[in-house]
Amino acid sequence: MFLIHYTQNNIPSGLFGRACRPGRNSSRGKSRKKFIPEGFCPMTDKRILLLLLAAFLLVPALADAMSGREIFEKMHEVRLRMLNQKTEATMVLYDRGGGKRIRTLTQYSKNAAPEAYKVLLIFNSPADLKNVGFLAHARTFSDRSLWAYFPEFKRIRRIPTSAQDDSFFGSDFSYDDFSGPPNLDDYAFKVLREETVDDRPCYVVEVSPKIPRKYSKYITWVVKNLWITAKVEFYREKELYRLGAFRDIRLVDGLPTPFTLEMQNVKSGHRTVVTVNKVSYRTSFPDELFTQRALERGGR
Amino acid sequence: MKKLWLAAVVLFCWASGSYAEDFLNVSGKLHLRGVVPLHSESVMEYPSLLGQLKVDTKPSPLRFHMWLEGGWDGSVTLPVEDHSTLKFGDRVYQSTTPFLEFKELYGSYSTDWLEVRAGIQRFAWGRLDEYPVNDLLNPWDYSQFLRKPLEDRKIGVPSLSTRLSHDTWSLDAVWVPVFIPYRLPLSTERWSPLNQMVSRFNNLPVNFLTSDADIPSRNLASGAGGLRLSKTGVVDWSVNLFHGYDPRPVLKATRLIIAPVAGQVAVEPGAVADFHKMSSFGLDAAFVKGPWSLRAEAAYAVGRYFNTNLERWGYPAVPAFGVYPLAPNEHKSDSLDYGIGTDYRVFEDCLLTMQAQQTVILDRPDSLYQQKFETIFWANLRNGFLNQRIITNLNAAYNPEHGGVMARGNVSYVLSDYWKVGVTAVGFWGPEQSLFGRYKTNDQVEVDLVFSW
Repeated sequence: MFLIHYTQNNIPSGLFGRACRPGRNSSRGKSRKKFIPEGFCPMTDKRILLLLLAAFLLVPALADAMSGREIFEKMHEVRLRMLNQKTEATMVLYDRGGGKRIRTLTQYSKNAAPEAYKVLLIFNSPADLKNVGFLAHARTFSDRSLWAYFPEFKRIRRIPTSAQDDSFFGSDFSYDDFSGPPNLDDYAFKVLREETVDDRPCYVVEVSPKIPRKYSKYITWVVKNLWITAKVEFYREKELYRLGAFRDIRLVDGLPTPFTLEMQNVKSGHRTVVTVNKVSYRTSFPDELFTQRALERGGR
Repeated sequence: MKKLWLAAVVLFCWASGSYAEDFLNVSGKLHLRGVVPLHSESVMEYPSLLGQLKVDTKPSPLRFHMWLEGGWDGSVTLPVEDHSTLKFGDRVYQSTTPFLEFKELYGSYSTDWLEVRAGIQRFAWGRLDEYPVNDLLNPWDYSQFLRKPLEDRKIGVPSLSTRLSHDTWSLDAVWVPVFIPYRLPLSTERWSPLNQMVSRFNNLPVNFLTSDADIPSRNLASGAGGLRLSKTGVVDWSVNLFHGYDPRPVLKATRLIIAPVAGQVAVEPGAVADFHKMSSFGLDAAFVKGPWSLRAEAAYAVGRYFNTNLERWGYPAVPAFGVYPLAPNEHKSDSLDYGIGTDYRVFEDCLLTMQAQQTVILDRPDSLYQQKFETIFWANLRNGFLNQRIITNLNAAYNPEHGGVMARGNVSYVLSDYWKVGVTAVGFWGPEQSLFGRYKTNDQVEVDLVFSW
């Protein structure tokens, strides 16, 4: 960084410490006469040089200061590339007393351009949840239809979007967590600071929904250059409600993927850990997989 | 033949255990249930142990699916000796214990746009809960009516079904070539609509007999069929057509016989299950509006039969030994059934489901017990606690035309991924002939222990 010092007469003297006299050499020091060409005003031109140098060095630094919206747009790009995928995972629910319940599930999703995306999620175990499924069709990132299927009743039920922040089948994750990327226009973003999480530099961004939602704000730690979430805090008014952590990040097909996702309800002490057993990207599932018929058949 | 079936099932179960991981998904359930009646004079129900075994082949165009149920049914008080253990859906009074029954047993072939299934199937058409008016392909087992959830009441039917799918459209066609009757409890069983009358004779040497129904011949002429055209989108909707035997029971009055037999009094009430063909055309739809998930359904039925008021059947005021011919007690009329239901999220893990449905008997004479408009209001409040480790359900149904009410409360607790325990209390109020009032001595507390794998 270059600092411009001003003389007592308020004339910038720059690094070279002399006032600018266009076309005249400095009277101090014969050696300067040799190197300053005639007509060259050392101070004015030096200032310009300094400014240019400062600009050259400052622009990357300024560019580094991304807005919250820009950070989330980067994340959105990464999530879009992840839309065509199949994930097999184990979900373990831990209650405060130490008891646990284990579920396994398979999730399919598809980039459904010109619409947004489609998601099908089926529970494989335990027995009382087997073939219970969840289907989402997003016409846009904010306009979605959600259905749930209960084999015990052989009935498909539509889920209102007001329930999207509710517990996903008893876990600490919500339906929204499994429903695909959100509409960025529904949120306001503000970068708070930078921090390191698990040795990864992160942007800390405060996200506030513009429409009434269960959580009044989220604070998200976004891993720089990977553009995925490392940690998230959910607040209701000013009270911390849920804590999420996304660890064991690996590159799969060039896409950063957390293999361990943990969500904890701070109030109840209950937590859910999802471990990804297998994930495949760049899949090309047919549209028929994302239908009510497939939901009834358990995704087959 | 039936022994061969049983042997095949046993062999299959053994084989599935050996090859399960390779190409089969096997799951099952054991359900132990005890009932504590709240009225000492009501018909006794013994503890039940019921088992369920489900087998599915791994995903492929060709699939096999089996759902076998069996066990000891404590609501059966008199096992009928000449009925086989394996239920084949060929009798109305199929009261056996222990029993085995294929709820579902079919093979299917599917592609992206076509699925064909053949075998014993259960269908779920319509969208309302408890009494979906377009869900007519499967007869019901009324032997524990009102106590059992809707899908558990359905009897699997041998059928051929096809589904054609294209984009958001689908067309289902079902053919049930063989007639399968609904199942009724014996008059001496707890859930018989006559149980109040029967229980008055508990301490007397009275033996109530039941006449087997005259079942339509099991040929193609007595089959049934249905078509359902559906579209999914912002509004999911379907159009339904059905033609076949009305799966809802109606009784034909024949003659009352009261006779002395071997030191006891034998009574044959003379109410025989009857069957009539009908046709139905219906619509159903579901959509979401704000925090409400809504569904509606309607069906127009041609050729339905209804029973007249019991007082008009001709039962003598003072019964004595003899044979009493009873009056014709069936009336034919078209009907219109419609209803609307909704789910409302009260708060997280608390869901209120409400439903109102009505049957309009279009050509109703005064001799019917049912009014021209028969309405049922139904509501259920479901609450989850401790991340759905504890689930409570509070349920009430009300029939305003007769003042009949059913109320049920249930708490279940998930002990682990395999074990669940529950307690249910249920009560009934209303006039003796009404839908709920006929069971008013059946108030009870049930305790359930379930093991699933």
